[in-house]
Amino acid sequence: MEKVFEIYIKTTPERLWEAITDNAQRQKYNFGVGVSSDWAPGSGYEGVHPGAGISICEGENLEIDPPRRLVQSFTALWSDQVKSEGVSRVTWEIEPVGSSCRLTVTHDQLNEGANSELYGGWPMILSGLKTLLETGELLDTPGSLRYSEEGIS
Amino acid sequence: MGSMDEVFKALADPTRRSLLDELFEKDGQTLSALEGRLPMTRFGVMKHLKVLEEAGLVTTKRRGREKLHFLNPVPIRLIHDRWVSKYAEPWAAGLSELKKDIEEDSHGEGI
Repeated sequence: MEKVFEIYIKTTPERLWEAITDNAQRQKYNFGVGVSSDWAPGSGYEGVHPGAGISICEGENLEIDPPRRLVQSFTALWSDQVKSEGVSRVTWEIEPVGSSCRLTVTHDQLNEGANSELYGGWPMILSGLKTLLETGELLDTPGSLRYSEEGIS
Repeated sequence: MGSMDEVFKALADPTRRSLLDELFEKDGQTLSALEGRLPMTRFGVMKHLKVLEEAGLVTTKRRGREKLHFLNPVPIRLIHDRWVSKYAEPWAAGLSELKKDIEEDSHGEGI
């Protein structure tokens, strides 16, 4: 199964790449979950929630071509149900369009009828990423704060 | 992706909403597959898909000789974050639950 998510963000490819790969920035729009990796070819990465102190997801960086393309394997770890879904793949593609970028996130190699928790969060994540890059602020709708530091406390 | 006006306009048509529902059920369909699932001519499906694509609600990928259509839910999320959450989210969540309970009750009573 394959899911495709597309968004236009008024920013440069370099700033967008940084917001995707920088741990501190990632935490601001990704349900509080950062990303830790050395971004070397063939390296691994881990998504950690600092508040909960647990790994939320992990995988390998299959292709790294800044600031255009990042392909990662993805294993969800936040519950036994999602763990049983195994490994899928996430491809980030950045394409400049005028003074904006088109960001396409393709989540594929999902099982047929995969648990929607695996891919259901992307629209909210991408909406928060857009708000962060365009306004410098955090998206503070109740839904987007649900798992963040602010939402937990 | 189009402006919010284009998204609202695209969503204002029941046929286009049924196309989105088709893609929600089964993502990544060809024009021929969609045509087969809806009581509409090929030209009609093409016309509506074009409006949905321009609004950013449908995105396409080439796979060999085929063009696959995917539901892109992101613009709907942006509308939600801009409008729904600000005015209604805490209430909307409660009301959706209430609606579900009432509908389940009605179903149970055989109405």
